[in-house]
Amino acid sequence: MPGFSDFLFEAGLVARSIGDYFSGAALRLGVTGLSRSGKTVFLTALINNLIAGARLPVLAASAEGRIVRTRLEPQPDDAVPRFPYEEHLKSLAGPDRRWPESTRRIAELRLTIEFESASGWGARRSSLTVDIVDYPGEWLLDLPLLDKSYATWSRETLAASETPARAPLSEQWRASLVGLDPGARADEETARRIAELFTAYLKRARDDVYALSTLPPGRFLAPGDLAGSPALTFAPIPLSDDAIVPGSLAAMMARRYEAYKAHVAKPFFRDHFARLDRQIVLVDALSALNSGPAALADLENALTEVMRAFRAGRSSYLASIFRPRIDRILFAATKADHLHHKSHDRLEAILRALTAKAIARAEGVGAGIDVIALAAIRATREAEIRTGGETLDAIIGVPEKGETIGGQTFDGIAEAAVFPGELPADPEAIFKGDAIALAEADNDWRFVRFRPPLVQAGAPAPQIRLDRALQFLIGDRLA
Amino acid sequence: MNERPPRPRAFRLDDRRVAVDDKPAPYAPDAVIQSQYAPIPAAPARAPTDEAELEVEAAQRSGLISRSRLTLARLAWTGLGGLVSLALGLWATNLIEGLFARAPWLGDIGLVFGVVFLVGLIGVATREIVAVARQTRIAEMHVAFAEARAADDRVAARRLVGELVALYKSRPETARARAQVEDAARAIIDGRDLIDVTERALMRPIDEKVEGEIAAAAKRVSLVTAISPRAILDVVFVAAQIVRLVRRIAEIYGGRPGLLGLVKLARSIGAHIAITGGMAVGDSLLQQLVGHGIASRISARMGEGVLNGLLTARVGLSALAVCRPMPFSVDKAPGVSEVAPFLFSKGEQPPSHIGEKGRG
Repeated sequence: MPGFSDFLFEAGLVARSIGDYFSGAALRLGVTGLSRSGKTVFLTALINNLIAGARLPVLAASAEGRIVRTRLEPQPDDAVPRFPYEEHLKSLAGPDRRWPESTRRIAELRLTIEFESASGWGARRSSLTVDIVDYPGEWLLDLPLLDKSYATWSRETLAASETPARAPLSEQWRASLVGLDPGARADEETARRIAELFTAYLKRARDDVYALSTLPPGRFLAPGDLAGSPALTFAPIPLSDDAIVPGSLAAMMARRYEAYKAHVAKPFFRDHFARLDRQIVLVDALSALNSGPAALADLENALTEVMRAFRAGRSSYLASIFRPRIDRILFAATKADHLHHKSHDRLEAILRALTAKAIARAEGVGAGIDVIALAAIRATREAEIRTGGETLDAIIGVPEKGETIGGQTFDGIAEAAVFPGELPADPEAIFKGDAIALAEADNDWRFVRFRPPLVQAGAPAPQIRLDRALQFLIGDRLA
Repeated sequence: MNERPPRPRAFRLDDRRVAVDDKPAPYAPDAVIQSQYAPIPAAPARAPTDEAELEVEAAQRSGLISRSRLTLARLAWTGLGGLVSLALGLWATNLIEGLFARAPWLGDIGLVFGVVFLVGLIGVATREIVAVARQTRIAEMHVAFAEARAADDRVAARRLVGELVALYKSRPETARARAQVEDAARAIIDGRDLIDVTERALMRPIDEKVEGEIAAAAKRVSLVTAISPRAILDVVFVAAQIVRLVRRIAEIYGGRPGLLGLVKLARSIGAHIAITGGMAVGDSLLQQLVGHGIASRISARMGEGVLNGLLTARVGLSALAVCRPMPFSVDKAPGVSEVAPFLFSKGEQPPSHIGEKGRG
């Protein structure tokens, strides 16, 4: 039930958005994705391409030669870390080049694009300021919690953990719940033990072999300053009914759950998410494909939850009038360079199938939604292999050290032509079955990771459809 | 269960058993690797829009769907127009007042004529507005079709095809084609394919009719020019024929241009001819000149006839391009030599049967 505090919260948001409007605020572009989806690489490549003035044929303003220059500006929000663009760029270059360290926190960067407008009375100089906000996709999963009570969340999390894919991973944690009495006196030791097992379970699910998406609360994986605080020391426990006895273990958990919402989810929503204008959600479909159908089904659920986040807090009347909305959302399957381009359509079809539920849900959001397969940095080139009477569409690159395929292990130095297998023509086919962490021999495809390409220092690396993503996200503001 | 797809595998480029590109290779390599340098298509879902289509759209923008922009010239014309209408109003008021001053019954008659004129004017204006709106909608449909086809947009294609079918509802001869198209629209078929199906089924017969019309006009013009006794006569005749042809083409494609619509259409056609550089779509200028040269060597008047015929066909083709409610994609846009092959027939007498078409 909306109370006075909700109203105050809402009024604060509205005041902030009106303030943003009158101070001529920039276009706020949110970049997110579940961890290891390639957020940092995407952002670094995007900024590098714009600043270096690379030719981006699909971005209309760039193709027409109307972009004068792009420059970095001081970061506007004093309390938010700056996106360390220069460091990431450096790590991608040189002989010991490697993919940048993944970030587990929010970061922001301001870009100004000077361009000449082609519409209106003749050409005129204008500029577009873009504030890029990079945040972990796990945080998005927290937003639907804002509308859920502890009891509901407990029930849903327990149900999700009993699915065949997750049951073995969550076994220890669920074993600790056996015989637990939610009505027992609150006990810090028990709470801590359960929470630790729960966190361990969430962490294991993110392992490469399983490639499961995460369950909220997202901050459990990257606690930062809050590590060990009561707001992160709770877990779902089986409740017999919705009634929670004051002073009991359940009551303590519920109170901490509410604290998590108040201290983690709400501030993120208020300070960052509610102010976004455009959003790109990066999805690492290839890892899930490597792992198996269960991981894909899990990814689908996570994306549907993400979409729920875009609806969260849109119900109030006040918000619908005054608050700016996210009016464009792009779902992008990253690492498209791990496939021959003839398979890109199939990868897009798979992403479309993955996001179909999410997109159907987006009707109330009122945003334009698109789905593409992209590679912000293209680490491979394409080739054709003829062997034993077969012709295979392959890619050539330097696989990372330790990657294996077809019984071969790579050393991270040699170039190799890799045929990753064929994606099915029918995207629904990949969801059949509930296998997970499939061995290589049981899967029809295998995507290995490649090292970053060698490029001239400072020059933007080749990309695949980064320009199309930009056209969708900011192209209309550069008209 | 069908057989298993090829297994994922990898070949190291420094492996001795592998042949890479043009580098020295072993006698019987395990695998041959050939690098590909073709760029990755920017957007696989989009088909490239061809040059000719862009030209047609540019031409449409400069006439049929020109956005009314405030320019200095427009400002001047608006002012002048206002003044002239005020003057006319003043004159009419004075006239009727003068009539009343002379005799009341004369004034009454004047008033009646005035009312009749007004009613007629309103009727004509309404018809013009409806006609212009219709012509504009067809041009917009053309642009939307091009966009939907390029983006392979299912929803837009279905909507547009529905509109197109509605446009030709009053044409009994398209009944079968319309039924075909509606069947296709109900089936599971991609946007681009649906548009192609529509073009094949519905537009082809209409295109042939239009081409026949152009051929007939070109033939008439070249004949009349060849035999007309006075130069001024064939100028008038050619102009009249061209206006008639343009109207006819617009009508066949479902438009109904009135006077204003015709002016807008003429601007688009002019722009199209200017953009395509006076060259017939799909023909080389050289071919036209050679055709003319041979004819003119045989007879000067014949040569003029051929030239006027070419001009008519050329205008007709531009009218075809800008009036067509959808762009050419399955079919190629016809050229002068296809609609009026008799103009190139090396000085032979124009064939006697009218309406011959170059396209099979």
